[in-house]
Amino acid sequence: MNKTIYDLEKAVLNIRINLLNLCAEQAIHIGGDLSIADVMTVLWQYQMNYNPADPKDVTRDRFVLSKGHASAVTSFNQAMLGCFKSEDIIAEYATDEGRFSMHSCNLVNPFVEASTGSLGHGMPIACGIAAALKLKSSPARVYTVMGDGEQSEGSIWEAAMNAVHYKLGNLVAIVDYNKLEADGSIDEVTGIGNLAEKYRTFGWNVREFDGNDIETIKKEFDNLPNVDYEKPTVFVCHTVKGKGVDFMENQVRWHAGKITYEQRDNAISKLKENFSNKWGNN
Amino acid sequence: MSDSLTKVFLRDEIGNYIVELGKKDKDVVVVNADLMGTCRNRSFVERFPNRSFNVGIAEQNMISFASGLAREGFKAYTFSMAPFISLRACEQLRTDVAYENLNVRFMAIYAGLSGGISGVTHWSIEDCAIMNAIPNMTVIEICDSNQARALLDKSLTHKGPIYFRSGVLPVFDVYSEDDSFDIGGSKEVCSGNDGAFLCSGVTVGYAKKASEIIKEKHNKNIRVVDLYSLKPIDEKAIIDAAKTNYVVCAQDHNIKGGLASMASDVIVNAGVCTHFKALGVPDEFVAMAHAPYLYNKFGYDTDGLVKAMEELMGI
Repeated sequence: MNKTIYDLEKAVLNIRINLLNLCAEQAIHIGGDLSIADVMTVLWQYQMNYNPADPKDVTRDRFVLSKGHASAVTSFNQAMLGCFKSEDIIAEYATDEGRFSMHSCNLVNPFVEASTGSLGHGMPIACGIAAALKLKSSPARVYTVMGDGEQSEGSIWEAAMNAVHYKLGNLVAIVDYNKLEADGSIDEVTGIGNLAEKYRTFGWNVREFDGNDIETIKKEFDNLPNVDYEKPTVFVCHTVKGKGVDFMENQVRWHAGKITYEQRDNAISKLKENFSNKWGNN
Repeated sequence: MSDSLTKVFLRDEIGNYIVELGKKDKDVVVVNADLMGTCRNRSFVERFPNRSFNVGIAEQNMISFASGLAREGFKAYTFSMAPFISLRACEQLRTDVAYENLNVRFMAIYAGLSGGISGVTHWSIEDCAIMNAIPNMTVIEICDSNQARALLDKSLTHKGPIYFRSGVLPVFDVYSEDDSFDIGGSKEVCSGNDGAFLCSGVTVGYAKKASEIIKEKHNKNIRVVDLYSLKPIDEKAIIDAAKTNYVVCAQDHNIKGGLASMASDVIVNAGVCTHFKALGVPDEFVAMAHAPYLYNKFGYDTDGLVKAMEELMGI
């Protein structure tokens, strides 16, 4: 996909607006949706090979949402690709018989590669998929997005060792390192230390960068090693929880919640204003 | 039916047969968690190294990894001891496999107290209760090598997860190569209408002997039903057995939540009235001991089954 930085910034603006629109109707995990929004948008709107007309297309890149509570930012990105409509998400989210909810479920939404929600599952599943793709000599990649708090789950590290052992160069693990989890800051709750160094010690190809900077993110995806590289890659993405909404940024309180229409309107105005200041009114 | 004179180790029979499945179906893959030797599937690993994975001592990862393989069309046979699959990796098998009805097979050895002197950590007295409560899960308990091979063959074409439970003690074969088995089925090992033993796994052999002893001692014909398919369970066979009016149900599992609970569910729902005795592991933790000693102590070996049926029938 040929996308400029402007295109992607415009896309992520729309994703954030959609998230705020939803958040004014339903409590969602808005803080972590906003922190990973930039990476998710570059991933879905630029990087991944994905056919919205066929979620089972064997040539597709696979995406496993390990931090399952970031379902809204995933669904809005899929909507932008044409999997369904953004309005569908807002209308159906957390409703009986709806296709969208706090944690994605592929019994009702075929665009969900793996139904997740409990933490520490997506990464090991992604490893199994990556091993299967290698076995089938598929050129596809597997992407998985994890939380930073999720790094406390032991199963992540079981998989982290395994991915290196099986030389899963087709696996790209992404950590949304926004420094906050449900009970407080990561350091206060239970420090995870130097995350990049941990993965490096485990034998991963580690890239550590600003996960809220579209240009940097795009460059990092562009520079991914080939799928037959001998190491899996991890992106340790430094992000801001609640990114783009001033009263939510770096606030534990906004791990999850609902906003008023007034808060929504103000937040959307500011996002648009910031975008215009950078790119003009085009 | 057969009367084998040589005991067999089910883990040998099961582990070694996986290589045959691998020859029949190129989508069969094996995932171990450092118990390839204990689970006896080395022959598969040597024959199909590319289709073999060993995640190390990491049962949770073994199951999630297998779920990933199954999502891509492989039939993943995972191996470990029953407690490490059913307890350590319980959430993984429920959420990553059963939720999406994936083709992962859980080859769980060390069923019940068969781990004997390894003690509580290596026993599995809760697994059937857990598995029975997980939607999409098929639960099989193996008592015999012919049964193992036949049901493993069926696993190649079955859609969804299967939990295969087997004990680690050597057992006498009960069946012949010609006997057939179906998921959802059962097997009448001994016929009779004076009473019935409902059993699975190691208790099938005990019940067969108990039935022969009761015939000789009291001239009563006690039916023995092997309910090897614990889920789905053969409701008709259970209801028919209950109509004999004397049912002794025995499984190497906690009495609570095991075969006795499953069978009594069926009997109560069918509105059949019968004398009923549940045998198995009492709902308590006890210190390590050899499995046959414990089976005798808790009254579900041959002697215990004879005694329970005599008391129930008042003979």
